[in-house]
Amino acid sequence: MPDNAVKKELYPPGDFGVWIIIYVELITFGLFFIGYAFSRRANLEMFNHSQLMLETTSGFINTLFLVTSSYFVVKAVTSIQNLTHDRREEFNKKASKWLLLAMLFGAGFLVNKIFEFSHMFGEGLSLSTNKFFMFYFMLTGFHFMHVLLGTVILFNIFQRTRIHGYTVEDHKGIISGAAYWHMVDFLWIILFPLVYIIR
Amino acid sequence: MTKTLEIVWIILVGLTIFAYLLGHLHYINSFFVAILLVTTFIKVQLVLDYFMELKNVTGKYRWIPSIWLTIVISLIAVAYYLPA
Repeated sequence: MPDNAVKKELYPPGDFGVWIIIYVELITFGLFFIGYAFSRRANLEMFNHSQLMLETTSGFINTLFLVTSSYFVVKAVTSIQNLTHDRREEFNKKASKWLLLAMLFGAGFLVNKIFEFSHMFGEGLSLSTNKFFMFYFMLTGFHFMHVLLGTVILFNIFQRTRIHGYTVEDHKGIISGAAYWHMVDFLWIILFPLVYIIR
Repeated sequence: MTKTLEIVWIILVGLTIFAYLLGHLHYINSFFVAILLVTTFIKVQLVLDYFMELKNVTGKYRWIPSIWLTIVISLIAVAYYLPA
């Protein structure tokens, strides 16, 4: 084996339990996405017309929030992975700084989405308006719950880094939480163009 | 490694801006939808490989999310392009 070859792992990083959750979420959201695409095909004019009422800029800003938050979480994980026993405090501090930023961006997503929802409800739009809005509210509402849960998970990880709770040997918790957060991120990466842009 | 993460983030942001501009300027047609689907595939694969570190995993656990992604994006394309 060449010196620069990276040793491949047999299992994905973090606790395997979180990956089971991720696989279940992939099936659920996958069915939603495909269901949306084929419903749109059957109701093309109505979907295209209804889509014009969405706030694309809000969806765009939310994508930036999640993508950037995901990046901050990777930086936090990298800080923990690079820590040494003599500099444990310093690297945990660094990680908690990145996690705080990630949470703020997650909260930014939630606040922006609440404004978007309240604007839509104010316009008289709801789940029962038509099939497009049924999908819109179901998909984005379900995803919103995931962002909320993800933010709570990040907060828990943040609390642990603040008390220097992670070590090189024991940091599966932060990696598992990070994996969940990245899943929330990439589901939105598909949802944004599918629901807000493609017509 | 650190630089790689920054590059991945820049690509993700760049492709998001591209998608937004297409939608905002109403430049959406069949050709651009294909581009959007390809760029969405690339973005998710980048998150899987570099943020979730699946590029360092071998065997089925490396490929399960990628196969899911391929199926989802392909079926969205089928729903969009298949003649009525």
